[in-house]
Amino acid sequence: MSSFKETMKKITSNPVYVKWLKDAWPYLTGAILLSLFQIVTLATTYNPWGVTGPYTNWGAWIFELFGGSVDKWYYFSSEGMQRTLENGFLADGGSVRNVGLILGALLAVLFASQFKIKKIKSKKQVVAAVLGGLLMGYGARIAYGCNIGALYSGIASLSLSGWVFGIFLFLGAIVGSKLLVKYFM
Amino acid sequence: MKEVMLDCFGEACPIPLVKAQNKMKEMDIGDILIVSIDHSCAMKNLPDWARGEGHNVEVEETGDGEWEVIIEKVK
Repeated sequence: MSSFKETMKKITSNPVYVKWLKDAWPYLTGAILLSLFQIVTLATTYNPWGVTGPYTNWGAWIFELFGGSVDKWYYFSSEGMQRTLENGFLADGGSVRNVGLILGALLAVLFASQFKIKKIKSKKQVVAAVLGGLLMGYGARIAYGCNIGALYSGIASLSLSGWVFGIFLFLGAIVGSKLLVKYFM
Repeated sequence: MKEVMLDCFGEACPIPLVKAQNKMKEMDIGDILIVSIDHSCAMKNLPDWARGEGHNVEVEETGDGEWEVIIEKVK
C-alpha cells in the first residue's frame, strides 16, 4: 500500500508528468496543434473541420430510432446528406471525430487527475444549460456552422463569412455576458 | 485582517471571476479572499485578473478537480 503511494508520488512529482499531463499547455501550443490537425482534416476528408454538423446527424439518427423520418426536412434533403445518414454513424468521419473529442477530453482530465462530477447548484443552472444548449444548437444550424465550422474553418478557408460570423459572435458574447451578470449573479 | 471564503463549486466561467471581483470590492486592504473552484478555466482567469490588479495570488490544488485561489488584497 505504502509502496503504491510512493510510486504515485514519484509519478505526480515527475517534471515530465507535470509538464505534459498535469499542467495546461500554453495557448500557443494548442493553437499550433489545432492548426496542424485542421489541415490534416481538410487534406484527408476534403471537408473543413466542424463539430456541430455531425451532432445534427446524431439528432436525426436518434429521431429515426424512435420511428421518425427526416427525409422531407430541408436541411437533410440533399443527396449527400441522405447518403451520410444512410451510411450510418461509423462511416461519418465527423461523428467519429466528435467521439474522439469527448474521449480525448476525458483522457486528458483523467491523466491530470482532475475528474470531478460537479453538483448542480440550482434550478437556474439547469434552465440556463438547457436554454443555452438549445440556442447554440439552433443558432449553429441557422448559421450553417458553429464557432468551429463557421468561424474557425471559415477564416482558415479565407472566407469572408468567417469574419462576419466572428464579429457577431463577439457582439452576442457582450449581450450574453450582460444578461449573465444580471440574472445569474 | 479577515479571511473571506467564497464557494464557487459548480459554477462555470465567468461566474467565479465576477463573484470574486464583487467580493473584493467589499473587502479592506490586507484581507484575504479564498475562492473554492472546480472549473479549471477559473484557475486561469481568476489569478490572471487578480495579478493584473496587483494583488498577491496563490493557487492550491485541494482535491481532484478542485482548487483554492487565495487572493490577498494589497491595494
